Amino acid sequence: MSLSEFWDFLVLGVVLGSLYAVIAIGYTLVYGVLQLLNFAHSEVFMFGGYGGLIALTAWSPVTSPSGFQSVAYVAVGMCAGAALGGIAAYGLEKVAYRPLRRRHAPRLVFLITAIGASFFLYNLAGKLFGRNAAPMPTMYENKKLFSVFGADINITQLLILISAVVMMIGLDYVVNRTKLGSGIRAVAQDPEVASLMGVDIDKVVSRTFVIGGLLGGAAGFLFGTNQQVFYTMGFLPGITAFAAAVLGGIGNVRGAMVGGMLLGIVENLTVGFWGDGWRYVGAFAVLVLVLMFRPTGILGERVGRTA
Amino acid sequence: MVRTKIARIGIPVVAGALLLTACGGDDSGDGGGGVTIGYQGPLSGDNVQLGVNMEYGVKLAIKEANASGDLDFKIKYKAVDDQGLPEKATAAAQKAIDDQDVKAVVGPAFSGPTDSASPLYTQAGMATVSPSATRPDLTEKGYKSLLRAVPNDASQGAGMAAYFDKKTDAKKVMIVDDKTDYGVGLADVAEKELKAVGIEVTRTSAQQKTPDYSATAKKVANSKADGLIYAGYYQDAGPFAKKIKEAGFDGIMMSDDGTKDDQFLKLAGKSAEGWYLTCPCTDPNVDAKTKKFAADYKKEYKEAPGTYSAESYDVTNMIIEELKKAGPDVERQALADALAKAEYKGLTKTFSFDDKGNLKKQAIFLYQVKSGKIEYQGSIEELTAS
Repeated sequence: MSLSEFWDFLVLGVVLGSLYAVIAIGYTLVYGVLQLLNFAHSEVFMFGGYGGLIALTAWSPVTSPSGFQSVAYVAVGMCAGAALGGIAAYGLEKVAYRPLRRRHAPRLVFLITAIGASFFLYNLAGKLFGRNAAPMPTMYENKKLFSVFGADINITQLLILISAVVMMIGLDYVVNRTKLGSGIRAVAQDPEVASLMGVDIDKVVSRTFVIGGLLGGAAGFLFGTNQQVFYTMGFLPGITAFAAAVLGGIGNVRGAMVGGMLLGIVENLTVGFWGDGWRYVGAFAVLVLVLMFRPTGILGERVGRTA
Repeated sequence: MVRTKIARIGIPVVAGALLLTACGGDDSGDGGGGVTIGYQGPLSGDNVQLGVNMEYGVKLAIKEANASGDLDFKIKYKAVDDQGLPEKATAAAQKAIDDQDVKAVVGPAFSGPTDSASPLYTQAGMATVSPSATRPDLTEKGYKSLLRAVPNDASQGAGMAAYFDKKTDAKKVMIVDDKTDYGVGLADVAEKELKAVGIEVTRTSAQQKTPDYSATAKKVANSKADGLIYAGYYQDAGPFAKKIKEAGFDGIMMSDDGTKDDQFLKLAGKSAEGWYLTCPCTDPNVDAKTKKFAADYKKEYKEAPGTYSAESYDVTNMIIEELKKAGPDVERQALADALAKAEYKGLTKTFSFDDKGNLKKQAIFLYQVKSGKIEYQGSIEELTAS
């Protein structure tokens, strides 16, 4: 592989990695406050894809939109995706997890519920939206914009990259600088003490789910824009993003970002060097290697102790 | 005490179960010597459109036969869903076999499911006539039940190679398969045939549902190949075509009958433009012989016939023809033997089988996506002859 090819695959890796990072945040936030592996998050992501698809189909974009229209389409699609993702995550917490928390169910029950909810949700989506894949309506002509070291960057790639970075900076601000953020960190550190200090735990947990859902939903829309939307689209990115969260140190928001980025890059370089068949071999070999030397992940802390 | 309790619960349960089975029997046409034609294919899951195309063809044939008044018995229809997955195929096949009224099955639709279901069908002595399972080695495994009413991928791969050889000046072709039985089987044959005519070949695979085809597409564009074959189904061919265009590949692009569906156009959008698609199937909407079928189909199901709709219709009529000769009480094995020897002139082609269950005359057709439509170009044999 020549140097220019290396740059090609690195750029693709950064784009895919930034999406993984945004999804991974959803896993890591929930784990931070509840120590729950929310495997149904991949379905929240999928609903985000459908949110954007449904909104844009209803609006039916014109065939060759002007620049202003393109921006409007993207904004509407992204908001609709984030909204449906947020609603799905909110409902998920309310229906599937809150009753279990009330009854102080053991960890294992939460895990099984998460897997069950995931099955339920993607089959529900298959019933509601059909099992054929659907493309996102054309919002803009996906032109090449500029090159970095010979690697071309097109509109979709730039859109994904910018949106992901904005979301990550925004989230970092919310977690570290706002009242809600300190609530989240307090619950993550010690729920009992936090509630004694007057933090409404239910509210914080619910809002944590919604934040994860908004990010996951927006990522679902971006993913759908990049390729297509279908009812099982959450599975592979979901698993990879979960691995990314673990790689970065589960419970650690910045860790999820680093982990997602790293896995995306390794995946694409692996595909570049050896072909798509090796995609997950490369990515998960890195995961195992890192965890052998740093069992708590790269940054290895929990939400509570960052800041 | 305990015993009476069991009896009290048990009797209604058993009675209920009996009632249920009776009802179930009624549904599939019980009541002594009912005749059912089965269909096995993907009726849910990711490639459902291919399954539905075929199901409608089968149903239409049965409906017309019942309405025609030529038969002194009624034919019923039973669908078993394998989702196009090998691991679901045995359970689906068992369902068809367990229903004693099912005399023969159209399908299985896909190659992987055909491979895993055929041992069961062979054991049951039930003929399965597949209008679409194209993987070459299926007829090499001694499945006595399997009649393949479609040219196999060996002919399709050879057709692709012939077209690249005679009609293009491609020097190097990259083949991307989707790691399914079907995709890899087709890619293997295409590779062999291309090399045989002196065209350089490189291979890579991208598993179905790969979350991002950008990297594989870039690899193809960077390879400096001037031809590309994608061996897989439309659900992945769609996004792959998009990414290939984004990556700036400008060679000749070709895919197979798994991609030849309007869903491909929908998923790939403008990027589908220019793709060549090969298929052992003719286009029922264009071909004069199948125009009436296409009109009837459209009237019944509110959509135009898709890939293999007409072939499924033909195959079903072939089974009905043999049933008419043998009568409704025919044994499964006897019907299977009759079908293996039969010669039936359908709308799309004449069906007759060699001793392995392969079609005797195999023709491959070429299509190309032009201004948002899959346009029929003609048979490859004729196109490359000139």
